[in-house]
Amino acid sequence: MGRRLLEAERLTRRYGDTLALGGLSLSLAAGEFVALVGPSGCGKTTTLRVLAGLERPDAGRVLHEGVDITTTSPQQRPTNIVFQDLALFPHLSVAQNVGYGPRRRGMRRADRRARIGQLLELVGLDGFENRRPASLSGGQRQRVALARALANEPAVLLLDEPLSSLDRTRRRGLQLELKRIQRELGTTFLYVTHDQTAALRMADRIGVMHAGQLVEIGVPEQLYARPRTAFTAGFLSDGTVLSPTALEVTDETSVSIAGVRVPCADVAADAADVVAFHIPPDAIRLDAGPLRGTVTDRAYGGSTTRLTISLDGGPELTVQHPDPGVQQGAEVPIAIDTVRPLTAPEVSM
Amino acid sequence: MQVRGFGPRTRAVVLAAAPATIAVTLGIVPVVVLVTESVVWAATPELSGMFAAYSRVGESVYLGILGRSVVLGMVLTAGCLVVAYPVTYWLAHHCPPHRRVLVLVLLTLPLWLNYVVLNYVWVWILARGGLVNHLLGAIHPSLSPVRLLYTDLSLTVGFIYIYLPYVILTLYVAMERLDDAYLAAAADLGASRMRLVTDVIVPQTAAGAAAGALIVYARIAGAFATPEILGGPRQQLIAQLITDAYLEVLDLRFAAALAFSFLAVVTFVLVVGLTSRQLRREVRRW
Repeated sequence: MGRRLLEAERLTRRYGDTLALGGLSLSLAAGEFVALVGPSGCGKTTTLRVLAGLERPDAGRVLHEGVDITTTSPQQRPTNIVFQDLALFPHLSVAQNVGYGPRRRGMRRADRRARIGQLLELVGLDGFENRRPASLSGGQRQRVALARALANEPAVLLLDEPLSSLDRTRRRGLQLELKRIQRELGTTFLYVTHDQTAALRMADRIGVMHAGQLVEIGVPEQLYARPRTAFTAGFLSDGTVLSPTALEVTDETSVSIAGVRVPCADVAADAADVVAFHIPPDAIRLDAGPLRGTVTDRAYGGSTTRLTISLDGGPELTVQHPDPGVQQGAEVPIAIDTVRPLTAPEVSM
Repeated sequence: MQVRGFGPRTRAVVLAAAPATIAVTLGIVPVVVLVTESVVWAATPELSGMFAAYSRVGESVYLGILGRSVVLGMVLTAGCLVVAYPVTYWLAHHCPPHRRVLVLVLLTLPLWLNYVVLNYVWVWILARGGLVNHLLGAIHPSLSPVRLLYTDLSLTVGFIYIYLPYVILTLYVAMERLDDAYLAAAADLGASRMRLVTDVIVPQTAAGAAAGALIVYARIAGAFATPEILGGPRQQLIAQLITDAYLEVLDLRFAAALAFSFLAVVTFVLVVGLTSRQLRREVRRW
């Protein structure tokens, strides 16, 4: 990745007995769209608040272009944030909300008006200048919040699950638009979400967080198909995670599942670190194969159907299939092309 | 089973009618009595004679006292707000939640005590031989005695002390609803600390402040005990004037005319305040 624009170095933050951040490090390059995903309470929001300067870390540093800004106030930082509940000022109009940042930074009235006009056009809300936030729909409010946070031209825009309150159709539409705006402006976006699909859809890189730590970071395709850690595989991937007891490790490059030998890809340097095995979502075929299993669950999900298959004399597998053509209870032949070893989250820090 | 007779709407109206009638009657009857009492009812009514008491109210001495009472009500209400703002902000946003009720009870303790006793507390503190003068004398003999009681200072302190709890209660409710996210958003966009107050805290809590002001403004302007106990002899307020007219001079008509004039002025100021567009919007939100 390119130049390091904003860096978090071993951030630690405690709330009483709870460890919200346990030494998190993260580096953002100029112009990239990074998504930070993880379950609720994993420290995503705290990370954003520390980067925005709304909270001080107990330990660790925040750097902007190599300059330490850990103790810089939020007013002075090159970041702006879109809050989860948006926090649009209810007593101000749309134009006043968007113009608030430039106004506080002393921009002249005429320039401010031009900036507000540009931004509202960018988010598709021209003509809404004099409306109050309360009279807008959920999606329109999101756009106002986005325009307001962009008005100070931040080097990094921090977004805290801003789309989580919208219905699915509207959310998808806005995700695409967010991506378009990010490309158009070239601003670095750090987008926090618990929605894996959103992250996979939008981000250039995805960071997976768990228990206040960055477990793994990489491009979406890699994390989805070839995660390194058991946590990422379970959280992000549609494949099957098998515990070592569910199979037999025959040698360094292959394992045996229900008596059938399966080659092992991406073998880790140190076999002692392996805590689980991953079968990538595209590595299971249902048409023919040496294994047999029974479909124990079938969940239709639109473009793909999720099957849970219990292998005869072996573990349970999860399969995503565009059109499986099998019903629950059916017996199917199965081929597994490859398995991959997974390490524990802590090791890959 | 269908109950015959009144529908739910009719029943609600009937239920509300009785207490509403009592409340309105209790509000209006005294005012009607007051007006009746202040006017001369002759066999051949003549305007100047009928309202003779009111023309006396128009004399500069009385107008001055009336004006002073209203202005004092406004100034001291503002004083209460100035004190209540930081206190309630701290209480609602920085005080540990499990301590809040305790602190709120301590702050509003004066509400639980007798009004006259509260005034005498300040006599005890501010008198020539009182607490403050004792402390000053202990620091250096030349500092004491200072005249504190029966001054504008003692009047101001007494009034704010007694009426502050009402303002704190109403403002606290508004302050508690103020979302910290607005403050974070404003700070993130570049607002200084001072700007957080003027751009976010005050607009978001103006309704609570207005409600508190409405409660205490007229009560301060019309207070009797505090100016009587803590104020100087030359600083009469309207309530003392009315009481004197009733009890000392026994001029009931003039007393009634004074009281009605005061009511009219206070109401007028309130109406002017409420019809200002901004304030009306805030009060509606409340």
